[in-house]
Amino acid sequence: MQPLANVTPLKPAARAGAIEVKNVGQVFKTRSQDVVALEDVSLEVKPGRFVVLVGPSGCGKSTLLMMMAGLRQQTAGTVTISGAPILQPDPDRVGVVFQEPSLFPWLTAEDNVEFPLALRGVPKAERRAKAQDALKLVGLEGFGRRHPHELSGGMKQRVSIARGLVQDPPVLLMDEPFAALDEQTRMTMGDELLRIWAATGKTVVFVTHSLTEAVYLADEVIVMSARPGRIVDHLQVQLPRPRTYEMLSGDTFGSLRDRIWRHIRKSA
Amino acid sequence: MSARISAKTLRHLIVIGLIALWELLPRTGLIPELFLPSLSSTLMAGWTDAGEYGHALGVTLYEVVVSMAFACGGGILLGAIVGSLPRPRVLIMPMVSSLYAVPLVILYPVFTVWLGIGSESKIAFASIYGFLPTMLATAAGIQTIDPQLLLAARSMGATLSQRLVRVIIPAAIPTVLSGLRVGGALVIVGVVVSEMLISSAGIGYLISRYRTILDSPHVFAGVLLVLFLAIAFNAAIRWIERKAAIWQTGTRAGQANDDIASGAMQPAT
Repeated sequence: MQPLANVTPLKPAARAGAIEVKNVGQVFKTRSQDVVALEDVSLEVKPGRFVVLVGPSGCGKSTLLMMMAGLRQQTAGTVTISGAPILQPDPDRVGVVFQEPSLFPWLTAEDNVEFPLALRGVPKAERRAKAQDALKLVGLEGFGRRHPHELSGGMKQRVSIARGLVQDPPVLLMDEPFAALDEQTRMTMGDELLRIWAATGKTVVFVTHSLTEAVYLADEVIVMSARPGRIVDHLQVQLPRPRTYEMLSGDTFGSLRDRIWRHIRKSA
Repeated sequence: MSARISAKTLRHLIVIGLIALWELLPRTGLIPELFLPSLSSTLMAGWTDAGEYGHALGVTLYEVVVSMAFACGGGILLGAIVGSLPRPRVLIMPMVSSLYAVPLVILYPVFTVWLGIGSESKIAFASIYGFLPTMLATAAGIQTIDPQLLLAARSMGATLSQRLVRVIIPAAIPTVLSGLRVGGALVIVGVVVSEMLISSAGIGYLISRYRTILDSPHVFAGVLLVLFLAIAFNAAIRWIERKAAIWQTGTRAGQANDDIASGAMQPAT
């Protein structure tokens, strides 16, 4: 990977893991008209927070996430991570987990996790050690030699999370990572993610369609509206941690979920 | 598990049975030796003229190998270009697709006019014959790569060349190999058929020549050689497939574990 020429040196300690989105806009040009996907979106995420983006389909929440990943350039505004603008993917600063596990089927689980390290020429022994640590973190110790087709959906997504974490980036971006899983696996994976998050202290930005999942996981929920995508609410989830299933039926939980739902119903 | 083993045994039994019939039917006079010479007389014919067959096999092998290099090399190269760039695809694909429907053997007499009746015309014909399926498969293999894999690679900071070497090529291998299987088989067909049509050497030429003098055992000895050539080629491709594309079996995800455990993971193609 080439060094970024125009990136100011990071100021590590203080700002590592901080995300700043400033007046970001995205316009898609089609033949007949310009579609405004995102309009003047600004938000700030403090290091170590678990932030969930929700909103109706087409509100641009995934687009926003892809901008934070450096996989898509905004047409207006800036996205800053760990104190420097993000202009292209930078796995040292940002790990990404997609809805599809996106594992390379011809590689074993550990080779998949090592992949981003191999891209940068990290020596084999160091790669292997880091991959083992990451697999252990996601609870897949001993499954490194398996190929993706020998793993269940939940296990594949765990490998994908391990791959996102293997370079120890301060930020983990997750684009509906559990959407393709069945309900039970999804609940388990939510708890697993919270465990990993607590163990690593990463900043997590998590996109989902599920309001329950949003409130259950988040410190903060950011609600977006569709066409043009705008932030319509920014909630603090004051529920104590660790989160438990009993909270799902509590009043706080219910009122937060209702509040989000009202926004989404209005704009959908 | 036991059903699978018995299927394999059954397959072997069928082959052995057919070989036995090949020997017995002509022997007992049920089929005249002119139509089907017995296996032993076929082998005998091949043995007595081993030098002639050996030379013919050498010529045919040479033509097959060179044609395969052209067909596979060119097919993969052009297929990769057509598969990854939309502009050449729009230009070339419709032509290639319609060309694929043409019986290319009609071109062979033209090649003999241009290149003579030696190996060159066979190589030209067989190369083109095997080139098309290889190219189409490669193009399809590259076009059908999961874009999500490329996006994931990009998110991990993969450069364009890293994406090519580490994602596109390994992802395309299974489809390319299935193209090579068809393309390679067509190369063998192309070489043998062109030798049979207009030629002065090679196994096809021997078959054709012995046919004109109604020497069935010698005809069948040639047929047997072509058969072995095709089987050897198929075995080679299967070996490569096993080496390169184990993960392909992942499409049968649910059974994958059991199949690997029982060592029966190769599709019986």
